[in-house]
Amino acid sequence: MNNNTTNNPKEKRDNENRVRESGSANKTVANDTVSTGKAGGTIAGSAGKTGGINELLGKIGLGPLSLLAFVLLGLAPLFIDDRFIIHLMISGMIFGTLAMGFDFTVGYINIVNFGYAAIMGVGAYSSALTVSRLGMSPWLGMAIGGVMAAIMGFLIGVVTLRLRGLFAAVMAWFVGLTLLAMTANLVDLTRGWLGLRVRPLFATPDRIPYFYTIFVITVVSYIILYRLTQGKMGMAFKAIGQNQEAAHSVGVNSTKYKIINFTISCALAGVVGGFYGHFVGILTPDVMHTRETVEVLALAYIGGRGSIWGGLLAAFIIIPIFEYLRPLMAMRFVIYGLLLMLVMILYPGGLSQFFAFIKAQIFNRSSKVEERA
Amino acid sequence: MPIEALFDLLIIGLVRGGMYVLMAMGLTLILGVINVPNFAHGEFYMLGAYFAYFASVFLRIPSILVIAVAALGGFISGMIIEKAVFYPLRRRSEGKNWLLNSFLLTVGLSITLQNLALWLIGSDYRGITSYWGGSLSIGGLMISQDRVIGFIIAMVSVLIFWLFLTRTKTGNSIRAVSENARGAKLVGIDLNRIYTLTFGLGAMMASIAGATLLSINPAYPTMGLRPLFRSWFVVILVGLGNVGGTIIGGFIVGLLETASYYGLGSGWQDVVSLTVIIFILIFKPSGLFGKAVKGIWEQ
Repeated sequence: MNNNTTNNPKEKRDNENRVRESGSANKTVANDTVSTGKAGGTIAGSAGKTGGINELLGKIGLGPLSLLAFVLLGLAPLFIDDRFIIHLMISGMIFGTLAMGFDFTVGYINIVNFGYAAIMGVGAYSSALTVSRLGMSPWLGMAIGGVMAAIMGFLIGVVTLRLRGLFAAVMAWFVGLTLLAMTANLVDLTRGWLGLRVRPLFATPDRIPYFYTIFVITVVSYIILYRLTQGKMGMAFKAIGQNQEAAHSVGVNSTKYKIINFTISCALAGVVGGFYGHFVGILTPDVMHTRETVEVLALAYIGGRGSIWGGLLAAFIIIPIFEYLRPLMAMRFVIYGLLLMLVMILYPGGLSQFFAFIKAQIFNRSSKVEERA
Repeated sequence: MPIEALFDLLIIGLVRGGMYVLMAMGLTLILGVINVPNFAHGEFYMLGAYFAYFASVFLRIPSILVIAVAALGGFISGMIIEKAVFYPLRRRSEGKNWLLNSFLLTVGLSITLQNLALWLIGSDYRGITSYWGGSLSIGGLMISQDRVIGFIIAMVSVLIFWLFLTRTKTGNSIRAVSENARGAKLVGIDLNRIYTLTFGLGAMMASIAGATLLSINPAYPTMGLRPLFRSWFVVILVGLGNVGGTIIGGFIVGLLETASYYGLGSGWQDVVSLTVIIFILIFKPSGLFGKAVKGIWEQ
C-alpha cells in the first residue's frame, strides 16, 4: 500500500522535511545563520550588531524571540492583577511543559509515549506521599517525584527497546493503564478514588509564588530540551526516529539514546506532576487517565511535532481560549478533537510550521537564503 | 476450589470472551486491511449501545431487530467516517508515517465522538433493564438469558463474518488487500471501496458488541475505553492482523479476567491482564500465534 511512492513525492517530502526542520529551528534561525557564516553575509547587516549577544543566547538555547516571550511571561504578574488569569497561565505552563516533554519523545525518536499522564501521576503521587508520609519538604518531594518518574521512564525505555513505533506506543499505554489501575487499587497507600490530600507548596493562598515556580521549571526544561535536541544527541534522536536500522549502521547506539530520551522526558513529567499535586492540593487516579495523555498529545501536535516550543505555545493559545469560550464549554473537547484531526490531515507541521511560514514572509530575504542553502 | 465454582468461572469467562472476540475481530480487520491502529474502536462500541438504546426506546421493535438497527447504524457511521477522515489522509500522505498519523487521527476521532455524545446526549447512564429477561439454568448455574443470547449473537456474527470473508467475492477481495494491497490493485480491486467497506464492517462488529451488552452495561459517552483496551489486548496477544487467532485470544482474555477477578477481587483484573500483556510484548512481540513482525509494523 505504501510502496506506490515514486521519486517525485519523495523529493516533495524531503522539501517538507526541510521546511519542518527550519520550522523547528526557527527560534534561532537568525543567530544560527549568522554563526554558520554561509548565510551570514546576506543578513549580517541586520543581525551583525547583536551577533555577540545572539551567540551567547544561542549557547544557552534561547533565541531573541523566545527570550522576549519568556521575559514578557515572567513579567506578566507585575501587570496582571487578575487571579484567574494567573491561574490560567499556571495551567498553560503545566500543560505546555508536559507537551514539550512529550514532543521530546514523539518529535524526535518518533515514539508516542501513550502512558505519559501515568508517568506524570507517578511523579505526583511519589511527591505527595513522601511529603505526607515521611514529612519531607515539598521541594524535595518534587525532586523525588522526578526521580521516580525517571526510573519509570528508564524501565519503559528498556522494555520497549525491541519494539518499534506502534508497539512501543501500545506498550507504554498498557504500562500507563497498569499504573492507573494499581494506583486506584492500592487504597492503603494512595486512598484510591477517594483522593489524596496533598500539602500545598506554599503556605499562602497567593498564586504568584506558584507562578514563578512553574515558570522556572518551564524555562529550565525548555532550555535543557532545546539544547539537547540541537546537539549531537538531537541528531542521533532524529536518525533513530527516521530509520533505526540506518542509524544503527552508521554507529548510533539506538539503545542508549532511546533510554536517555525516555528517562529525560519522563523525569520532566515527574517534576511537573509533583508541582501539579502541590498546586492543586488533591490527587485522584484520574490524573493518570488516558484522556490526560490525549490532551498533552493534542497540544504537542497542534503545536507542531519536533519543535519543542510548539506545544508550549499551543497550550498558551488553546487553554485560555477554552476558558473564555464558556458558552462553548460543552463543545470544547469536540473542537479539540476536530482541531487535532484537521491538523493531522491538512497541516501536519502544526503551529510551529505556520510561524516559520509567517516569519519567512516577514523576513523575505532570510527565507531566500534558506532556500538556497 | 470446588468444581461448581470452576464451572461458573468457565461459563462467565466464555460469555465475556465472546464479546471480546467480536470487538477484537473488528479491530484486527481494520488493522490488517487499512493499517489503521484504531484508537476510536471503543467509540463504535459506544455508538452501537446508543443506537440500540434509542431504537428500543423509540421504535419499540423486537430485541433482535434493535441489535440489527445498531449493527446497521455502526456500519453506516463507520463508512461515513472512513470517507470523511481516512480517505483525505490517505490522499495527502504518501505512505510514510501512515501508521502513526492514522493512529493520531483516530485519537482525534475518539475525542470528537466521545464529546459529541456528551454534548448531544449528556453524561447520564442510558440503559434498558433487559432484552429478553428471565434466566436459564446451565448445569446448576443460573445465568441470565440476555447473557446467553448475547453470547449466541456474538458467535453467530463471528461465523457469518467468517463465511463472508472466505466465501464471497467481496470477502476475498478484502483478504487480498490485507495480504498485498498493490497486487490487489493490479488485479482490478477498487482499493478505496474495500477500505471504506472494511472500516464499516469493523465498526459494525464493535456496534453489535455494544448493543448486545446494553442490558448489562448502560450507554454513556466514555464507555468505550475499557472495551477498547481489552480488544487491543486480544489483538496484541494473538499477533497483529491474525483474524482467526482473535477467536482463541478473546476467550483467553475473558477467562483470564474472570479468574483474576475471583482470585484477587474487583479492580485487580486489569492489573493482571495488563501485566500478562506487558510480558508478552517484552518476550514475544509478535504475539502468541504470530510470525515475525514485518512490513509496515516494523516502522
